[in-house]
Amino acid sequence: MDQITNEMLWTIIAPLAGLQFLLAIIALVACARAESTRGPKWMWVLIILFVNLLGPIAFFVAGRRNE
Amino acid sequence: MNTFFVLYRKELLEMLRNYKWIWVPLVFILLGAMQPVTTYFLPQILAGAGNMPEGAVIEIPTPQGSEVLAQTLQQYNTLGVLIITLSFMAVISGERNSGTAAMILVKPVSYTTFVLSKWSAMLSLTAVAFTAGYAVSLYYTNILIGDVGAGGFWKSLLIYMIWLLFVGTLTVTSSALLRSPGGAAFTALGATAVLAIATSLFPKAMAWSPGKLTGLAAQSMQTGLWDEKTWMVVLLSFVIVALMIMISVLALRSKPSLDN
Repeated sequence: MDQITNEMLWTIIAPLAGLQFLLAIIALVACARAESTRGPKWMWVLIILFVNLLGPIAFFVAGRRNE
Repeated sequence: MNTFFVLYRKELLEMLRNYKWIWVPLVFILLGAMQPVTTYFLPQILAGAGNMPEGAVIEIPTPQGSEVLAQTLQQYNTLGVLIITLSFMAVISGERNSGTAAMILVKPVSYTTFVLSKWSAMLSLTAVAFTAGYAVSLYYTNILIGDVGAGGFWKSLLIYMIWLLFVGTLTVTSSALLRSPGGAAFTALGATAVLAIATSLFPKAMAWSPGKLTGLAAQSMQTGLWDEKTWMVVLLSFVIVALMIMISVLALRSKPSLDN
């Protein structure tokens, strides 16, 4: 297991990066479609884009107002 | 029973509409996968951190596969529990505050059915998310670290699932008792923390406490053990869960809407 080639590395990391990306995209879609958010929408967009993993979670938990 | 399924499906649909069915499993999967991957790359991460003295030799023993999975459970212990409480904190109080509960309960729907439908929907989501995340963690551990016994995996999955069921039910009950969702989440998290601390402080008196479940899950992961003590803890957890559901039903019955 010690010799992991570059290619194998990608098959390990890529799905994870893909999932994180997917989560951010869904959060962005939810943010765009939400009628009102707690705080300005552009702030949430920045949080979702730049805070890794916790940003989308924070939006889903606390971001939307009445749903 | 029929109304139960109607309400249950309505709950599932609602969780789909507010993206819970997407983000909760995704977060659990990411958390699960992170642990084996960071464990595997730890030497490189430390080397890349750069503030090591020149010529320092870092010897990190490669952990066993079962240890890594036990660490994954630790991860779920903090962030996973937090996510479950936060995403279900308004499960009953939200319906009561918005008046939906009153509107549904004037129809021939019993309070028990109403609470049970919400509780089982919550349980379904938790079970799916946790199983998916834990399975991904197992997959990565098998690839990167080493083989993990399947027996220990299933046992720890089951034990930890009961713990999450306990935490989720605690959230539902606090949500039925308290008006504010934040207060419910705080109460549920506080109660779990107190339970965990009390269990580790008084091992004799709390020998069957549900707070033992997390430790037992990690232990059964490593040893594949499931003895009498485990049965007692599991049994007591189920009893407490049943009691908590009854309390939620009573709380909802005494106060189905805000204005009475």
